[in-house]
Amino acid sequence: MYILKNAWISITRNVSRNLLIGIIVVVIAVAATIALSILNSANQIVNAYNNEYECKATIGTNRENLMKTFKKNENSSAENMINDFANLEQVSEDDINKYGNSDYVKNYYYTYSVGMNANGLSEATDHVQKETTETRTEKKTTHQAPPGGHPGQGQTTTEEETQITKTVENIKAQNGAFTVIGYNSYSSMSDFIDGNYTITSGKVTSDFTSNTCVVSEELASLNNLSVGSKITLVDPKNTSLTYELEVTGIYKENSMEAKDMGSMFSSSVNNIITNQTVCKKFLSADSSLKATVTPTFVLKDKEHAEDFANEVKAKGLNENFEVTNNLEEVVDAAKGIDNISSFAQTFLLIVLIIGAVVLFVINMINIRERKYEIGVLRTIGMSKLKVITQFMCELLIVTLLSLAIGSAIGAATSAPVANRLLESEIVNSQMQKENIDKNFGGDMGPGGPGMEAPPDEPEPEKFDGMVEMKAVEDIEAVVDFIVLAELLGIGIGLTLISSIASCIAIVRFKPLTILKERS
Amino acid sequence: MSILETKDVAYRYADAERDEYCLKNINFSFEKGKCYAIKGASGSGKTTLLSLISGLESKYEGQVLYNGKDIKTLNLDKYRNSDIGIVFQSYNLLPHLTAAENIMLSMDINGKKVQDKKLKAVELIEQVGLKKSLADRRVLKLSGGEQQRIAIARSLSYDPDIILADEPTGNLDTQTENDIMKIFRELADAGKCVIVVTHSENVVRHVDDVFFLNNTNLSNALT
Repeated sequence: MYILKNAWISITRNVSRNLLIGIIVVVIAVAATIALSILNSANQIVNAYNNEYECKATIGTNRENLMKTFKKNENSSAENMINDFANLEQVSEDDINKYGNSDYVKNYYYTYSVGMNANGLSEATDHVQKETTETRTEKKTTHQAPPGGHPGQGQTTTEEETQITKTVENIKAQNGAFTVIGYNSYSSMSDFIDGNYTITSGKVTSDFTSNTCVVSEELASLNNLSVGSKITLVDPKNTSLTYELEVTGIYKENSMEAKDMGSMFSSSVNNIITNQTVCKKFLSADSSLKATVTPTFVLKDKEHAEDFANEVKAKGLNENFEVTNNLEEVVDAAKGIDNISSFAQTFLLIVLIIGAVVLFVINMINIRERKYEIGVLRTIGMSKLKVITQFMCELLIVTLLSLAIGSAIGAATSAPVANRLLESEIVNSQMQKENIDKNFGGDMGPGGPGMEAPPDEPEPEKFDGMVEMKAVEDIEAVVDFIVLAELLGIGIGLTLISSIASCIAIVRFKPLTILKERS
Repeated sequence: MSILETKDVAYRYADAERDEYCLKNINFSFEKGKCYAIKGASGSGKTTLLSLISGLESKYEGQVLYNGKDIKTLNLDKYRNSDIGIVFQSYNLLPHLTAAENIMLSMDINGKKVQDKKLKAVELIEQVGLKKSLADRRVLKLSGGEQQRIAIARSLSYDPDIILADEPTGNLDTQTENDIMKIFRELADAGKCVIVVTHSENVVRHVDDVFFLNNTNLSNALT
């Protein structure tokens, strides 16, 4: 206890010496606070990005593999290829559940796509000639050996055997002119979440069991559809099976792909968006109807994207399919902020190294000035350890007081600096939240993608064990307890490093020598 | 009975030639209740001998026995802050502390429980002939004589058996020298063993025994 008291007396009675150390620590603390707060804010934004840009994997057709298979088959024709492709055995719901049951997967969902026709609804297309005719002439050369003769001695004949004329469009007609896509929750509607689709009129209803749908602006315009209109879908393989859906919303496609390409209509023009319950009705009524089930697996950690793909293959995924992911987009999304984070880390490191060196040198000079004091303390029986403890206490007290002042100044200056540096990222993060609501047609009610459910209202219905999407959090103040804890760690670290000079000197100094020098 | 004894003590500096001893064959014993003076020419090794006895230097040949125990086997920090009190020519007080604080720090280092350290410090200040009003004054604002008295008071703060004084009056006038030596005399009469290293003839008048240190021998000159 007396060591602490003596340390305090020494500080208060040697103000100028301690003031110099204090000023240096304040400067280090201000710089470190700014760097740490930038780092902290950057990490918050990266976390927000990670929440927003979750690493997702899906299963799609492995076109490269398919083409190789088709090329190997000498009898392959365009017709066969299209037929083979149309008849490709799809990934089943059971398969998806099997793949989704993985340690790498946080949650998963899937959408149904079913080809359907519609009564009184014109398909939007910019193809003038709807029928494409393919004509192929195949020539066959045969060598016919005479009975008992040797091969090569026979008669060679060339004859035109077949002439195939097929209407490729017929295949499309068989599969339905419209693609009906069934979702089971807002969280699975990635096109709306990602901003590819935006509702311009009406909304996507939150009842994922109702006979409702949303259609594209072009399709609505072409067929005079508006919110409240009813459309009748027809099974392409059994025209007696019809289903009536109410239009609750009209969407437009925003993607670059839709705007560029030089076509009159967007790629989604003939997509009718509904829920899985409706799609399952089609499929249960007609077992011959083909549906494409597209799964989305939300991974716990982007680092495991490759491991998950390998696991799915090991679980028996057909070689005509492959696991793809959005890892590149996720990495790209946080690239800018990662750069700022790296800059802050480097800056912090430089500040700490320079600070430690300066403090070390100042302490060395101080110790030389205080040799006499060390000599007296050792002569009157104070142990080396206690002398070292007293000197370290002095430095720690000065450092902590200076850190408190420095962090206060740093907090005042770092908030505007960090916010300025990260301004665009923060705005982006907040805008994303608002845009998702808009994409779904505004107020989605409790549990909607962009908002939290009030505690007194029931949770929205969840489907097949899936969870609702998390809202992007706001960016909070940049100097928080984490930064203060890190600063405290830095202060103690700097004290220990710069105290090395004191420790070495105290251990090496001989009291008699010091006092003789003084005399 | 001797409280302090030297047995064949020999010392040479680390950079000295092999046989170039500063002190050699130092054999003597010091008793409680007596005041001793060690005289000798400059460079004869007086201060060195004192530093060996006080445990400030431990690389020497022979033995220094305190109460029959070789001080090399003792905790020398503890030895210095409880068994012996050292007074230097240049006082060696901490300049940023007051007179009382210098004395109280010594009590703190000793670690013995004292009811009121400040009160005891003031009592010691009065015991060495100073006004108690000086207790709260920084030592740099005191005269040389006053500082030396404070140094003596500090050395008495933990009631040691032996007081070692290295030229305690070297910087003081004759009158103050007499006053300081009176204090040492009183301490010896009170049962302490006081050993004073000095050049002064005046000091000799106040002591029981004087020893001359002539290069390598300590000889009893006066009994």
